[in-house]
Amino acid sequence: MTEILVVGEGSAGSRICSVAHGIATQTGWRWARLRLSKSDTHAFAEAVAKCVQDAKIVLMGATAMGKDLMARVAEHLDVPLAQDCIGYRVAGSKVVFIRPLYGGKVLAEVHLAACPALATFRPRTQPAYQGAVAILEHVLTPSPHEMQVVWRKVGGGAALDVARADIVVSGGRGMQGPEHWHILESLAAALGPKAALACSRPVSDNGWRPRAEHVGQTGRVIAPAVYVAVGISGAVQHVAGIAGSKCIIAINKDPHASIFKVADYGIVGDLFEVVPALTAAVKALR
Amino acid sequence: MPVKIAICIKQTPDTEARIRIAADGQSIEEEGVSWIISPHDEAAVEQALQLKEAHGGHVTVVALGPRRVERSIREALAMGSDAGLHLVCEPMPADASVIAGALTKALRPRGFDLILTGEQAIDLAGSQVPQRLSIALGWPCVVAAETLSIKGRMVQARRPAEQKEALVRFALPGVVGVNRRIGEPRYPSFKGIMRAKRKAVEVDVAQLAEGRMIIERLHYPPAKAEGQVQSFGSGIEDTVARLLAGHIDTQV
Ligand SMILES: Cc1cc2nc3c(=O)[nH]c(=O)nc-3n(C[C@H](O)[C@H](O)[C@H](O)COP(=O)(O)OP(=O)(O)OC[C@H]3O[C@@H](n4cnc5c(N)ncnc54)[C@H](O)[C@@H]3O)c2cc1C
Repeated sequence: MTEILVVGEGSAGSRICSVAHGIATQTGWRWARLRLSKSDTHAFAEAVAKCVQDAKIVLMGATAMGKDLMARVAEHLDVPLAQDCIGYRVAGSKVVFIRPLYGGKVLAEVHLAACPALATFRPRTQPAYQGAVAILEHVLTPSPHEMQVVWRKVGGGAALDVARADIVVSGGRGMQGPEHWHILESLAAALGPKAALACSRPVSDNGWRPRAEHVGQTGRVIAPAVYVAVGISGAVQHVAGIAGSKCIIAINKDPHASIFKVADYGIVGDLFEVVPALTAAVKALR
Repeated sequence: MPVKIAICIKQTPDTEARIRIAADGQSIEEEGVSWIISPHDEAAVEQALQLKEAHGGHVTVVALGPRRVERSIREALAMGSDAGLHLVCEPMPADASVIAGALTKALRPRGFDLILTGEQAIDLAGSQVPQRLSIALGWPCVVAAETLSIKGRMVQARRPAEQKEALVRFALPGVVGVNRRIGEPRYPSFKGIMRAKRKAVEVDVAQLAEGRMIIERLHYPPAKAEGQVQSFGSGIEDTVARLLAGHIDTQV
């Protein structure tokens, strides 16, 4: 019997393996990764539920797909589910999950009084797992369902998704228009292949940038190693999506902008001067 | 074709509200908090009203929670919803599966075509109620919808997921969890507010199962050390450039 299962593949899954490994080390339980042949959430939830029903703990990355699938699996199994966890604690054979509430203003330690306990983890909050992984292969049979996919599109944006990037360069209304984005693109390019672009909500609402780049309470929640906020005032709804970043750098001409309250480093100045200067300095240091 | 729509809303603290942990260490201090309809849910109310305006039908606002929740129901009525259903309980359950269970029990016998919710509430961010409703009812469900339309009995919705996107279609009845980006909600008009006072709100007792996601303790996130904020030209830009350069090609 394998007590802990990590559902799904990809780099998100490999970070979730760190959680499984960590819990396994403290409890003596075994863990494995469940490779799924298919991931259409509506069709395969029941099949996934059957695969995991005997485990004690089932984990998955808190991606859009991961959260949707686990919500369905949880209902099929009639068990509670803790979404978007950022940490865990083991006390004997009891596992406590840590998840942000109220847009990150409070953290909750939650215990799931059911078996299996289901949780999704924000991938970037966990280190990548480097060790060996036992893989369980399952061929899933879809359940009959009434959902038709009319079309599916992949990409249409940057090569690297913002939630996977180590460094995120993000622009706000202070950028004044999409025609100025090349200065952020140059900075991101200088920062290498692990850098991606993001934006505040008005920027995507105005159609300056694709919606996939919108971060915040109503957009994506990200936790890169470094978040660079350029011309962003730092509204609570924005900060809710980036507060998990390890280091926040803010560039704003208003010394009283709220973004400076959450920033590790703040540069007060005109972004049209500061960003090109930073790009040049980074290039010189490479 | 007229549609009978239920829109499930959650009342949450305002996004700007200061959140203080109560003395029990497991809940928040409610005094002084101003309450709103959770933003994604509010956008779902707007979608329900637009569908009704386009196709005809009837919109019922459903909310679970203590007495204070009635104000949010009246707000959705003032926007243009037709009727309210208040499932009363005190306090608000922390386990989203308990909320979904009580909603299922109340909605099943009432014969709706379409159930709308937000994709998640901004307080406890459970992110599971629409999916649970759909599975309990045996209906199809799409979440994080950014567009929603109905043609005859067919619902069509666009859902983005990270860098992917899909347009899906299913026949009613069904459940849709919307994202706020689907469109900003309207403000209630003065006439709407006056009319809302006369609209019926049915009150029922929420049928709650025992919660199995137990909040053991709340705490504040560790305080961040104060940042270094300086003017451009002071040398701060060199510090930042070195920090950024140090992250290039390094994995965390
Ligand atoms: C329910 C709800 C949900 C929301 N969800 C989100 C969300 O998910 N994400 C989100 O981002 N917002 C969200 N918002 C909106 C949020 O409240 C703010 O309005 C928004 O974040 C502001 O975006 P901004 O910082 O780009 O623009 P602004 O607030 O206009 O800030 C622009 C900043 O640029 C600076 N600036 C201007 N010119 C320059 C220059 N030349 N050089 C340097 N600095 C300059 C200004 O000093 C200012 O601080 C939400 C709001 C609500 C009500």
